[in-house]
Amino acid sequence: MATPPLRCAMLALNSPGYRSLALGYLRAYAQADRRLAGRVAFETLDLDTDVDPWWVAWRVLGLEPDVLAISVTCWNARSVYEVCRIVAAVRPECAIVLGGPEVGPAAEEVLAAHPEVGVVVRGEGELTFADLLAELAGGGKAWRVDGITLRRSGSIVATPDRALVANLDDLPSPYLTGVLIPVDGGAYLETFRGCPHRCAYCFEGKGYGRIRSFSDERIAAEIEFVATAPGVRTFSFIDPVFNLTGERLRMLASLMSPYVANGMRLHTIEVDIERIDDEAAELLRSAGVASVETGPQTIGADALEACHRPFRADRFAAGIDALRRAGISCECDLIVGLPGDDVYDFLAGLRFVLRLDPGKIQSSTLHVLPGTELWERAAELGLEFDREPSHEVIATPGVGFRDLRRAEVFASSLQSAYRARV
Amino acid sequence: MIRFADIPVGSGGETRCSRCHGESGEVSYRPAAEIAAEIAMVCELWDELPGPNVALTGADPFGHPDLPALVGAAVEAGCRRLCLATDAVALRSPQNAGGSLMAGVRHLRWTILGGTPGVHDVLVGTPGALDLSVEGVRSFLSIASEETIPVSVTAVVPVCRHNVHDLPAAAGLAVDAGADRVLLRLDDGGLDLPAALPWIVAACDTGVVNGVWVEVEGVPFCLLPGYDLHLADAVRQRPGAKPPVCSECALDAVCGGAPAGASADQLATLAPPVSAERLSVSVLRARGMGER
Ligand code: B12
Ligand code: SF4
Repeated sequence: MATPPLRCAMLALNSPGYRSLALGYLRAYAQADRRLAGRVAFETLDLDTDVDPWWVAWRVLGLEPDVLAISVTCWNARSVYEVCRIVAAVRPECAIVLGGPEVGPAAEEVLAAHPEVGVVVRGEGELTFADLLAELAGGGKAWRVDGITLRRSGSIVATPDRALVANLDDLPSPYLTGVLIPVDGGAYLETFRGCPHRCAYCFEGKGYGRIRSFSDERIAAEIEFVATAPGVRTFSFIDPVFNLTGERLRMLASLMSPYVANGMRLHTIEVDIERIDDEAAELLRSAGVASVETGPQTIGADALEACHRPFRADRFAAGIDALRRAGISCECDLIVGLPGDDVYDFLAGLRFVLRLDPGKIQSSTLHVLPGTELWERAAELGLEFDREPSHEVIATPGVGFRDLRRAEVFASSLQSAYRARV
Repeated sequence: MIRFADIPVGSGGETRCSRCHGESGEVSYRPAAEIAAEIAMVCELWDELPGPNVALTGADPFGHPDLPALVGAAVEAGCRRLCLATDAVALRSPQNAGGSLMAGVRHLRWTILGGTPGVHDVLVGTPGALDLSVEGVRSFLSIASEETIPVSVTAVVPVCRHNVHDLPAAAGLAVDAGADRVLLRLDDGGLDLPAALPWIVAACDTGVVNGVWVEVEGVPFCLLPGYDLHLADAVRQRPGAKPPVCSECALDAVCGGAPAGASADQLATLAPPVSAERLSVSVLRARGMGER
């Protein structure tokens, strides 16, 4: 009698309106893996963060999974751990596998704190996850899989790091394979992995080191698929810098322009604002970009230095002006609680962006994220933060606990007043 | 941080403490054409971003017979943020609330004299006034939310000796009504400032823990150690730097300015042997606000 397939439930708790691109990639790759054909059955649960963990567990347990694979981020981790505890209590035979930016860089710590979790996948997950499933489906040895941290004979062990995927085109597209169905406003594409910058608080680059890009053909095929999907009027790109190079921006603009002519728009594209002149703004406009998101995060000299961020006020302002002339709205982001800043630096930052009248101002509190330089250097820099997710900063040498909370409230009231306009 | 040009639409009838200011005077309104011309001029000459932003102040704008035309004129002139300074009672009518939103009103400066009818109603001299006023703000906000129009409401509280103990309640009421900011504006030269400070501080904390910002106008920063962030923009300064208001203070020559977060004891060492309490008397005297 044939062995029944391994039942693999894949879970993500997303911001409302979003679907997990990570699960899309993982499943698209695993489904295409011949070793797993007919041996693993997949079911994806793309739920919103506001679903109660007990009901999430209810949905998971209803699938009677042998493997529960969860994508973990700082905003969903607390719920995820609760789901894991409930699932493990009801179905102890289910192997729980975690991956994602929240757990990969702190794999050992996560396993030590959460005995119900069996395996943490570190870094890029597609190949590792498929290998792991192949081992689990064959009753084999998970410790033979590179890129994971797991329990073995009562201790926590890390297998060797896995090399990055050399050619990103080897990863099947979640959209083109039908694994992810594009939804209006919530579909987002990735054209490269890695980030050219090394900002100390950020994990966008995920320690991948170098930048790897999908081919122009692959990017074109995904754009065509999403831009012509029924009901989709807007979508986005998750690239950390959309205007990575002038040449690339021209390529994206020319790929997008036929759909832009039919009303397709891109929202919240992240750009390096200091490199935007009238020509770049025009290219963004022809790529259908309606709004962009950018820094400065801070304008305090000490914090800029501590975070390795270049900042030229005049070039920043010129970028915003160029966007305005092209009719593109800009969201300026500021972070309160960066090392080196005091609360007056933060207020100066707010005043700076306000005077540029960018369209939207978004301030957030520093999250000291696993895998970032600030996570590593927190003690040295005197950053007190919550070790539990979402790792918000509690106090810094420059801003005490109460002033941090005040700054948050002040900024949110200012944002409302700024937004309220004709 | 967002500047508004205040343009009075008339005078009289403002929400002020009747015990401090007596009966509010006869209400009279300026001709619409004159106000519209002023709005147009302000918008034309506006030279800083974000803006232009105009607040229609003085007598309650909802009493002006040509308010719709004035709002239209402001929008026409390119005003980005139009604010009405009002007691909000007129906004109970959905026609007024919806009409002003549709026409372009995005900000309210909503004056209350306290957070309880026992204070507000008594001081304005109209029983039931506070409830009607809160109802007006809620109606404005609920229509704005239905229509997904972003708006901002600042609750302005003129602070005097008759309402100072009700400031935390006023902040609480503003939170409840849906305001996103509270402005405590000193309006009484005879106020016992040191005695008032704990109420001001409690109002600031009430706002913060409920996610609503409270700003204080008219108190020098040396008197609110640890609360300097709550002081209005003109006074809030980098630690050690002195704001313009200090130039009027008797201690200006000897005082080095308050470090941020200084305690009352530390303040006493700024200009020894002056205590925080004597400092406040001196500041008040120097600012012509009388002695306690
Ligand atoms: C899209 C996005 C969002 C969306 C929400 C997306 C969603 N699904 O809900 C929005 C815009 C709302 C958002 C908001 C925020 N975000 Co965000 N966001 C992203 C972004 C740009 C793309 C995510 C993505 O799809 N990546 C592509 C996939 C393929 O990469 P991946 O997720 O890393 O997955 C790979 C591996 O990690 C691994 N993997 C992942 N999951 C799993 C699971 C298993 C089982 C396995 C085996 C492997 C595995 O394999 C995958 C394929 O290689 C990332 C940055 C980035 N480029 O990744 C930040 C990022 C995820 N966000 C981040 C942060 C901090 C936030 C905010 C807190 C920011 C703020 N200050 O407010 C908010 C919080 C929102 C909230 N709900 O409270 C951090 C998270 C760090 C952390 N420790 O979790 C990131 C990494 C960016 C950063 N600056 O560091 N975000
Ligand atoms: S004591 Fe006078 S000079 Fe010194 S900070 Fe206060 S107001 Fe300014």
